[in-house]
Amino acid sequence: MNHSLPAYQPDLLSGPELTAAILRYATNPLYLDNEEWLNDDNPYRRQLRPQVLGKLKFDEPLRRDQVLNYESLAAHRMLTCIYETDLVFLPRSTLTPEKYRDYQAFYSPHNRARGDVVRPALEKFAFGFLEEEVDVSGDWSAESLETFLRDIDNRVKDAVLPAEKAIRESADPQRAAKMWLIQFAPDFLSEASPMLRNLLGNTGDIQSEWFKIVIDEYGYGVHETKHSTLFERTLRSVGLEDDVHRYWQYYLPGSLLMNNYFHYLGKNHELFFRYLGALFYTETTLVDFCVRAAGLLDDVFDGAADVEYFTEHVHIDSHHGRMALEKLILPVVQRYGPIVIPEILKGYEQFQIVAEIADEDFVTQIAWMDEGPANKSLHDPVHRAIVDGRATAPVAHIVEPRGELSNTHSHQGDELCHIVSGTMKFVSGFESHQILEAGEGTVIWRNRLHGAIIESAECVYEIHSVGDYRKCMS
Amino acid sequence: MHVVKIATAGQGNCAEINRIPYVYASTEFGDFVLPARCPHRGGPLHLAKVEAQSYRLICPWHGKANSAKHAVRRGLPAVRRGDRVSIVFPGDVLDETTIVHRPLSPDLRFDRRASR
Repeated sequence: MNHSLPAYQPDLLSGPELTAAILRYATNPLYLDNEEWLNDDNPYRRQLRPQVLGKLKFDEPLRRDQVLNYESLAAHRMLTCIYETDLVFLPRSTLTPEKYRDYQAFYSPHNRARGDVVRPALEKFAFGFLEEEVDVSGDWSAESLETFLRDIDNRVKDAVLPAEKAIRESADPQRAAKMWLIQFAPDFLSEASPMLRNLLGNTGDIQSEWFKIVIDEYGYGVHETKHSTLFERTLRSVGLEDDVHRYWQYYLPGSLLMNNYFHYLGKNHELFFRYLGALFYTETTLVDFCVRAAGLLDDVFDGAADVEYFTEHVHIDSHHGRMALEKLILPVVQRYGPIVIPEILKGYEQFQIVAEIADEDFVTQIAWMDEGPANKSLHDPVHRAIVDGRATAPVAHIVEPRGELSNTHSHQGDELCHIVSGTMKFVSGFESHQILEAGEGTVIWRNRLHGAIIESAECVYEIHSVGDYRKCMS
Repeated sequence: MHVVKIATAGQGNCAEINRIPYVYASTEFGDFVLPARCPHRGGPLHLAKVEAQSYRLICPWHGKANSAKHAVRRGLPAVRRGDRVSIVFPGDVLDETTIVHRPLSPDLRFDRRASR
């Protein structure tokens, strides 16, 4: 009997089909705009701004120079939601009927299935650039790989990251440090969850070695020593709350990229070997980072910050880096041969790129927050240039009532916000805002996270898409 | 074995190990570490053209052909991140290692990112 089957085609949505599938996913009431800046002890509510997703294109992978734009933020917000339906989150307090409905809706088969439909296309969109940023060539062996990875010991160990420098030099170091801790919350409050994705199944003795690292992260079943518990204490010690995704609207695209990268590697088991390389890099370098982070928080909060989360990692990650190399990577290569080496190397190198992007994003955001008053001052000359006809830009006229909250977002070019009447609270980051009255406004930098809330009965304002505000100044 | 880091192009794009220059070649069909001295008479392979049909590098001196496919698969182990390359050389760290500049022919400067 001759059975004729259609040719097998790996499925990746694109074009209008992808847009429609994204809208089917993101219009879940869980993902609609919030009326508050913070999510209050509800880990299921995450703002995706579905009202704009239909206008965005997610078909072509982002380039390296596009990974901080709004499409990237939108994709990573969705991916965070999609990945985290594999994780169990429960609120701190009573499950009210409303919250219980949210809980059921978040973990419902419909929400999970719709997320999984769009996930491959979003992953290609959000992580595709990494394939071009790293290339492995030549004849690798276990010996050359080990030489290469051990060369990490020759790095400059006390090199201060630009983000750390930005906090110390910020106009408001405590605010900057809180914004920094908020960026780590998606990762540290569910610490090691991506790692657990690689524990199921049977990978022989590798599985047992993997498990040893995981049980350190989870404090051997002692809740007080679990790493996420330590980070909760850090948050509380500086006046932040510790419930999951309370600060959702303040996450930057670079931070979500870094958090999602490990979920991406862990969710897609064809990237298991890549995970090994990324794991080795992060466990090895976290030792130096955590020494500096503890010192930084000590300095910025005058000793009031609980830094045990970081000091614990100084100790344990010196073991984890060695274990990742000697107990995981080298035995894996010994067993499976050099075919797995390019993937290990890609993970090692790609994670460094991801970390650099997150750092760069954070530094620019702190500058943007610090420059709030200066950006407000820039309104007058830029607006004058528009009024005088020396600059032309597309303009949107907007009228909003009291309490209307523009959930955080960004734009691909600089914009000018001009208040015609009423009062707006313009928010450029955590604990960072300017009050804008009639006749005032602010320049909005490209790719910088911001939002706004109306504080008068009504506010009439204009958004001028100037592209590059500096061109209006000449 | 030891690791040497060079740039993909411009300043510092060549490691001279024991007076043999090595550059990083990016071609349409793959990237690889290229010993920039032709095994025939020592011609400047960093200025080679690529013969598209055969994937061979043609030395500008005598037209001697060198397999680029072989270099991609069997060349020195290397990993590029962005515009930097780490190469694992055999032997211990040598005093004779210097980092210099060698111009690359257009055929060896293929920009995969720009070609998208």
